[in-house]
Amino acid sequence: MFRKIESKTPQQAEYVDSHSKNEGMDQFFRRLRLKLTLGLLAAFVLPYGTLTLFFNFQFSSVLNETGKLHLVSLSESQRNTVDLFLQERVINLFGLFHRQEFNLSPGSTEMEMLLTVLRQANSTFVDLGFLNERGIQIGYSGPHAILHNKDYSNEAWFNTLMTQKKDYHITDIYLGFRNKPHFTIAVKKLINDEYYIIRTTLEPDQFYHFLQTINQSQGVESLLINNKGIYQVVGPKTGKPFQKSESLPDRHKSSYIREIKRDGDTILIAHSWLKETNWVLIVRQPLEVAYARMYTTMRIITLLLTLILLFFAGVIFFTTNKLISYAQDASQKKDEMRLQLVHATKLASIGEMSAGIAHEINNPLAIITATSGVIRDFFNPEFQLEWTPDDIGNELDILNAAVFRVKAITSKLLDFGRKNEPRLIYSDLNHILNDVINGLIEREFKVVDINFVRKYDHDIPKISVDPDQIGQVFMNLVNNAGDAIEGPGTITITTKQEGGMIKIIVTDTGSGMSIDQLKQIFIPFYTSKEVGKGTGLGLGISLNIIESMGGTIDVQSMEGKGSSFMISLPISDKN
Amino acid sequence: MGVKVLLVDDEVDYINSLSKQLKVRKFEVTAVNNGDEAIKSVGQSSFDVIILDVLMPGKDGIQTFEEIKRIDPTVQVIMHTGHAKMDLAINGLKSGIYDYIIKPVDINELVEKINLAYENKTITTKPI
Repeated sequence: MFRKIESKTPQQAEYVDSHSKNEGMDQFFRRLRLKLTLGLLAAFVLPYGTLTLFFNFQFSSVLNETGKLHLVSLSESQRNTVDLFLQERVINLFGLFHRQEFNLSPGSTEMEMLLTVLRQANSTFVDLGFLNERGIQIGYSGPHAILHNKDYSNEAWFNTLMTQKKDYHITDIYLGFRNKPHFTIAVKKLINDEYYIIRTTLEPDQFYHFLQTINQSQGVESLLINNKGIYQVVGPKTGKPFQKSESLPDRHKSSYIREIKRDGDTILIAHSWLKETNWVLIVRQPLEVAYARMYTTMRIITLLLTLILLFFAGVIFFTTNKLISYAQDASQKKDEMRLQLVHATKLASIGEMSAGIAHEINNPLAIITATSGVIRDFFNPEFQLEWTPDDIGNELDILNAAVFRVKAITSKLLDFGRKNEPRLIYSDLNHILNDVINGLIEREFKVVDINFVRKYDHDIPKISVDPDQIGQVFMNLVNNAGDAIEGPGTITITTKQEGGMIKIIVTDTGSGMSIDQLKQIFIPFYTSKEVGKGTGLGLGISLNIIESMGGTIDVQSMEGKGSSFMISLPISDKN
Repeated sequence: MGVKVLLVDDEVDYINSLSKQLKVRKFEVTAVNNGDEAIKSVGQSSFDVIILDVLMPGKDGIQTFEEIKRIDPTVQVIMHTGHAKMDLAINGLKSGIYDYIIKPVDINELVEKINLAYENKTITTKPI
């Protein structure tokens, strides 16, 4: 049974041009650097960015909500204040019924006194009127004297007050008899089965002034409109009383907020309906003002996050750079090391072959001595030989041939021993195999009865290899095969193309290997050969060379029958 | 009658030149190119000394030596070799080879060794 051990390729290393090291390797490392940097950046930036965005979103929506809530509560508190203000005015009026100065047909003196009392409570009261249930103003005090004895029975406010159950009424802004914008507050009281009415007026300017005093927030503008959208109390920049506002308030919500855009600015508008009247209190604040602090905070946070991002990006870039240059150095050193190892193995193989080489050189030397001896004999008078110049010429030809045989061997040896710079050449592997086998090895093996059988596929594509390095691999395998054979034997060398790979198989009919040997053959310095005959580096360096080309070496062996080494090399796309 | 010498070597040029040198020195020389021919020659006629190359395709020097000794135990064998596989030659000495000589060889040294081998043969085979 054949045992099989496969060399392991830890990573299908990308084919690295050891020849054009500066271009190929640099390109490889440039790509690696880019991939690593982008990968790390993505690994960092994606979660960081997501988190930042999420945080920003959450933060801004919380701030947004807070800003809106703040404005709504501001509008509610102002609404309450205005409600309270109106209630107080109503109570002020009711209070007059119980004053000592009050009687059912007041003269101007009494009315003056009552107005003075009112104004002591609040200075916004403009005037004071006293009406019977027929709508005749029977008492008046204030700046509009013509209103005395005026008949109000057809006035809207009077009719509302008299028909409604509630005993007070506050009007929207109107002009009335005095032809001046004002609000009327009127209260009624049943005295001796007859209603009596006390009314007073407020001016919008003073009302606006009051709104201003309760509004302490910066950039906030407060105003009042009625349920039909008519301005009641409004600042001069926004509008004038009686004008219609841009939108009608929503009666169904007691208070709410909305955003409008005007001239590119966003304005927050909070609404709160009053309880005492059909008015709504509106608080407006430009978004920029409302969120001013939020924007500042956001800017600081964004700046910080960006700084952190830049810092980490810098760290990633710096670290990757450092890492890559380490890797590049290491890879360069590894290549140099391999080169030195290849050369060492080469020299070792020459050492291993020295006996064979000596034999190959001594044979022609023996011919030279013997043949020169023959010529010397021609001239030796002792032997009295007859000779012609042709005889001498023939012997000289033999001499010449022997000398060139030696020369061929020494030049092959020199070729082989030369330390070549790494280079990539687009080569035919069959050709390299022949270069290795023809010459020294085949002659050496022939005398020990080892035959070579070549089963080449002549259609295998050329690939880019370092002929020196791959040649050394072939040399190692063939030498090993030769060493494994005792006595006559055969080394079969097969090349073929299979599944995108070129396969070179060296099979011998030698002694084969045990499982223990098989496990160790790729370990450096392991050797089964005698001391001085093998360094134990051949297969290790061979595997190293083949793996650097992205290939593998597979071994099959059977004790007593022989071994088979199969090199698989990828047919690179680059070819 | 000269000493009968059989030269066995796969290098044709070499045995041709060596034959010429030995012949002018009055040896009776037969030259063959491989082990099998050597064995055949020994079977056909008797030789005094055999100069036998160690490394040859086909039967190597040692195997050839063993067969020759079986056919003619009296023949004196001198192993002749390039540097390689000297250990083989030394082992051969232990098993009855008369001497060995390393290529390239000085003709006078070779002649001397052949004569010594021949003397050895005549001493060891002389009837007492």
